Amino acid sequence: MKHADWSRDLKLRSVVLVIAVLCCSSIAYAHHSFALFDRSRLITLSGTVREWKWANPHTWLSVVVRKADGTDEEWALVGSSPNMMARWGWNAADIKTGDKVMVDIHPARDGRTIGELHTVFLLDGKVLADPGGQTGEALAGGATNLPTKPQGVPYQ
Amino acid sequence: MKPAPARVVRHQAARMLSSSVICLIALVLGGHPGAAHAAAAPQSKEAMTKAWRVIASLPDFWQGTWQSVSPIADDFPTPPDYTPSAMEYIKSYKPVEDSPFANCKPLGLPFVMNIGGMPMKFFQSPGMIALYIESSGMTRFIHTDGREHSDRPNPTYLGESIAHWEGETLVVDTTGFAQDTLFQLGKLDKKSLAQGDPSPLSGVIFGQHGPNLRLVERMHLTDFNTLEIQTSIYDDTVFKRPYTLAARRYIRGIERRNDPQEWACTDNRDYFDPTTGQLEYNVKDKAQSR
Repeated sequence: MKHADWSRDLKLRSVVLVIAVLCCSSIAYAHHSFALFDRSRLITLSGTVREWKWANPHTWLSVVVRKADGTDEEWALVGSSPNMMARWGWNAADIKTGDKVMVDIHPARDGRTIGELHTVFLLDGKVLADPGGQTGEALAGGATNLPTKPQGVPYQ
Repeated sequence: MKPAPARVVRHQAARMLSSSVICLIALVLGGHPGAAHAAAAPQSKEAMTKAWRVIASLPDFWQGTWQSVSPIADDFPTPPDYTPSAMEYIKSYKPVEDSPFANCKPLGLPFVMNIGGMPMKFFQSPGMIALYIESSGMTRFIHTDGREHSDRPNPTYLGESIAHWEGETLVVDTTGFAQDTLFQLGKLDKKSLAQGDPSPLSGVIFGQHGPNLRLVERMHLTDFNTLEIQTSIYDDTVFKRPYTLAARRYIRGIERRNDPQEWACTDNRDYFDPTTGQLEYNVKDKAQSR
């Protein structure tokens, strides 16, 4: 294994561990599917926003990803509820159609191009973490320790 | 005892007569305090001033909002004494894989108090406490005017709540539930679950409650920042004896980000199939109406 791969693998493992820890104490996945998405995996999509829907019970981010072979793929990403996100610093106007974004997501288990939002990285440097899976204390306490760059395995 | 002078007897008779007339008028006007259409008269300014003073002396549930810090699923600390039909149901129960609240249908009590993620806010006015539950966008109206339950409360998702204070504890008594409020009647043994299942709903047994479900919630502050609610379930179709759940805890949020927010559920593209426990995303045609 090359050193870069090894270090990325290690980093991913630690991310997985953090997620696993969060999951076990979580109360905030209430609105999410537990069967559809693989929370042990984190992948990073780079693409262009097609739709950003700020609505209950879920927000939806639709991103068009250009694959290495030149074809476009549309991903439907489900986020937490707007209220929870607002408490964690999100604003409906943060994301607009046409924006270039990088998004860490938990992908679907069945290989469909759907996923669960984890963190959104905007071009202007703003980082928005989805509060899904956090404890009540963390939800009331607001977002802290945000990553500065994507943590997932790049999706090609 | 000396016979009472005639005048006194007459006086007593008149007093009895007048009090029964008053009773009769009260009965005609409003019946007992529990009657659904009991006459309500405007209160005087003095009476209201007194009522607000009493409110000021009550435990402070009112500042800020309350965020659940307890797991979504209820723990059943002691084995409940189930009825034979409930036992039968649990024996053949297959746990839901998914979240039964991913769409816009209201959860109703008791589960609406469990869901968390968003805070609750208490409001108080003479004769009523209102409890806004953001995660459902619904408000519980809890009557503290000394009324009794209605004889036949119409079924609703939040039921009919009356309450009184026992010292520092608010005791809320609720009946009149819609048949399809989300109800957890137990929890499966940990051993029967997949290892490392991250779902906070692992092992939850959802099911039907009976038509006479009654909840008694005891709410009190353990310290300024912590609200504890202990719920007892009265439902003889499920539990042979009333069952008291482990207390749930809520922490106070004072910061502006913890202000209550609107919850208007409008995007029904998630469909939860209650028979299979499966959730489908982006299927607007199947989604339930709100």
